[in-house]
Amino acid sequence: MKSLFTVIGFTIKDMVKRKSFIISNLIIFLIIIVGFNVPNWISGESFKTEKLTILDNENIFEGKLDNLNEELSNLGYEIEVDKTSTIEEIQNKIKNEEIPSALMLTQNENGLSYEYLVDGMGLTTTVPTDVISAIQLTYQNIQLAKLGIPEENLPKINSEANNIKVTSLSSEEQGSNIFIMMLLSIVLFYAIYFYAYQVSTAITIEKTSRIIETLVTSTSPRIIVLGKTIGIGIVGIMQTLLTILVAVICAKAFLAPEMVSSIFEMMKLSPEVIVVIAIYYLLGYSLYALLYALTGSTVSKPEEVQSANGPVAILAVIGFYLSYFTMMNPSSNLNEIAALVPISSPFCMPFRVMMGLSSMNELVMSIMILIITIILVAKISIKIYSSAILNYGEKISIKKLLKQ
Amino acid sequence: MGLKVQNVSKTFGEKIAVDNISFEMDKPGVFGLLGTNGAGKSTTIRMILGIIKKDKGNITWNGKEVERKYVNFGYLPEERGIYPKIKIYDQLMYLAKLKGMKKKEAEESMNFWLKRLEVEEYKNMTAEKLSKGNQQKIQFITSVIHNPELLVIDEPFSGLDPINTELLKSAILELVQKGTYIIMSSHQMASIEEFCTDILILNKGKTVLQGNLKDIKDTYKANKLELITKVNVEKQINELGLTILRQLDKHYEVQINDENQAQALLKKLVVENIEVEKMEIKKPSLNDIFIEKVGEK
Repeated sequence: MKSLFTVIGFTIKDMVKRKSFIISNLIIFLIIIVGFNVPNWISGESFKTEKLTILDNENIFEGKLDNLNEELSNLGYEIEVDKTSTIEEIQNKIKNEEIPSALMLTQNENGLSYEYLVDGMGLTTTVPTDVISAIQLTYQNIQLAKLGIPEENLPKINSEANNIKVTSLSSEEQGSNIFIMMLLSIVLFYAIYFYAYQVSTAITIEKTSRIIETLVTSTSPRIIVLGKTIGIGIVGIMQTLLTILVAVICAKAFLAPEMVSSIFEMMKLSPEVIVVIAIYYLLGYSLYALLYALTGSTVSKPEEVQSANGPVAILAVIGFYLSYFTMMNPSSNLNEIAALVPISSPFCMPFRVMMGLSSMNELVMSIMILIITIILVAKISIKIYSSAILNYGEKISIKKLLKQ
Repeated sequence: MGLKVQNVSKTFGEKIAVDNISFEMDKPGVFGLLGTNGAGKSTTIRMILGIIKKDKGNITWNGKEVERKYVNFGYLPEERGIYPKIKIYDQLMYLAKLKGMKKKEAEESMNFWLKRLEVEEYKNMTAEKLSKGNQQKIQFITSVIHNPELLVIDEPFSGLDPINTELLKSAILELVQKGTYIIMSSHQMASIEEFCTDILILNKGKTVLQGNLKDIKDTYKANKLELITKVNVEKQINELGLTILRQLDKHYEVQINDENQAQALLKKLVVENIEVEKMEIKKPSLNDIFIEKVGEK
């Protein structure tokens, strides 16, 4: 047991000290930071604060536009209401670049008319329709008040169809955002695949650098395989949690609070679903890591790693696509099967649980099948690893390795 | 007590790798395990270390069957292997801990050996930055850091310059003096002759010769004459019907059947007033015995 902890500790230390690990983490963090700033940059571009002068020299609004600047602060305009200038004076100010644009208000028998004054119409020049809508609403309220309608009734008259509630009549409690769930399944696949592959690389390095001959005199192959698998798994969990932490910090630091809460709302997972995801992440990783330990131990030269790992990669891809494509029709029998087959269940079952499609029996059966498969794969992998790890000559078939 | 290997065999599929070998080490010293490539040395070593299971026979250490978890053996494999991108300190500490050492005692032992083999300045460097010879010394440390009772060293001097070879030789002799049992496998017969008291020669998995090295050599008669003269004596040698095995200017190696032939040649040279600088009657070297036994020339 002490040896197992020694191997785990050494594996973790070796992984986190690697330049490739540090650089890949920095790149991920950079992408997260940049990614969370993109909405700011986009909004900064399209909603950058622009001065807009509203010319109300006929005093149509009787000072009721004075609060418009505060009401429309999120539209990106710095509004100035001018009640004294003439049209010519405003035009001169625009030409002299004292102000960029102006909205001139005049009243006639048809109501209120608007004239947008700007020095030149460029590709990015847009008429401030949001501001016009707000002014129009204020104008309507003034007119309605003049007709004797009480001020408290005005919001009801002006209400828009903006409180739309969607109710699903399906008996199954399906999640609100299938896209997020599919995205999580893809992330789960890549996390499992990426870290499991590292086990193969680590074992190949030890074999091809011949350190393994010294290692196996110090501890058993079982301890080495399990220590490597657990160690890399812990690094995977640490890196995933760190990435999530950085993402949360960046979201809170760089995004508007409303956007953060809407994202969190969209991503909201129940504790049960989080537990299921964690279980399948660990079991899926264990299955593929042990398969990769097996293939990694059969390699004699570093350049053979990819071809040796080919069969496991094909299994993983089949498992993923079996799960991914059946997600399009989650109530199909094939999706149910994919949730039970060990190569696809780690990517499929969490999705079914999130969608509320899986019963407790199905979930337990899927986990049991996966655990039994992992135990079998672990026994075979350790047996083959023990035989293959000291073989550097011509390739020996898996059958022969099992017999040794 | 010590190491006892009795009637041990191992097959891989159809191939018999080791066929019924037996030997014993009952006191500290260096035992020579010899053989051509593929003779079964590595398989024998791995069975002794408990890395692979034997098919037949017994291997005991101090009377108990050898199992990796119960023995404190050290191993320097023929193929050098250390982690290239990990600091020397970290990998020595890792291997020492796997051998069951505590951090403090591992550090003490590590510092002793790094200083003893004159590589302490590389302690905090990655292995890939070290020369091949220094990497080899580091790997030797990995095999002795835990003070093993039995040490198996496979080609310990290959790739080392003469100074470092002497350094390692003196370290090995110190270990023997401290009571370590050492099994040495090497193709450098001179090293085996220098260190080993007992040897075993394997060929195609079978024992072809074993026993005390001195006793083995005593069973062989003198068969060579080394001769250095002032003038060319090729004619005189040929006149006595002797065969010149090797000649470098006036330095000859002549095959003889017994010492009388050597004396006859000396007498002839004296009569002809030829000055002799060196004349030595030689018994077969271990190299000669090895070649004779494994049937390859």
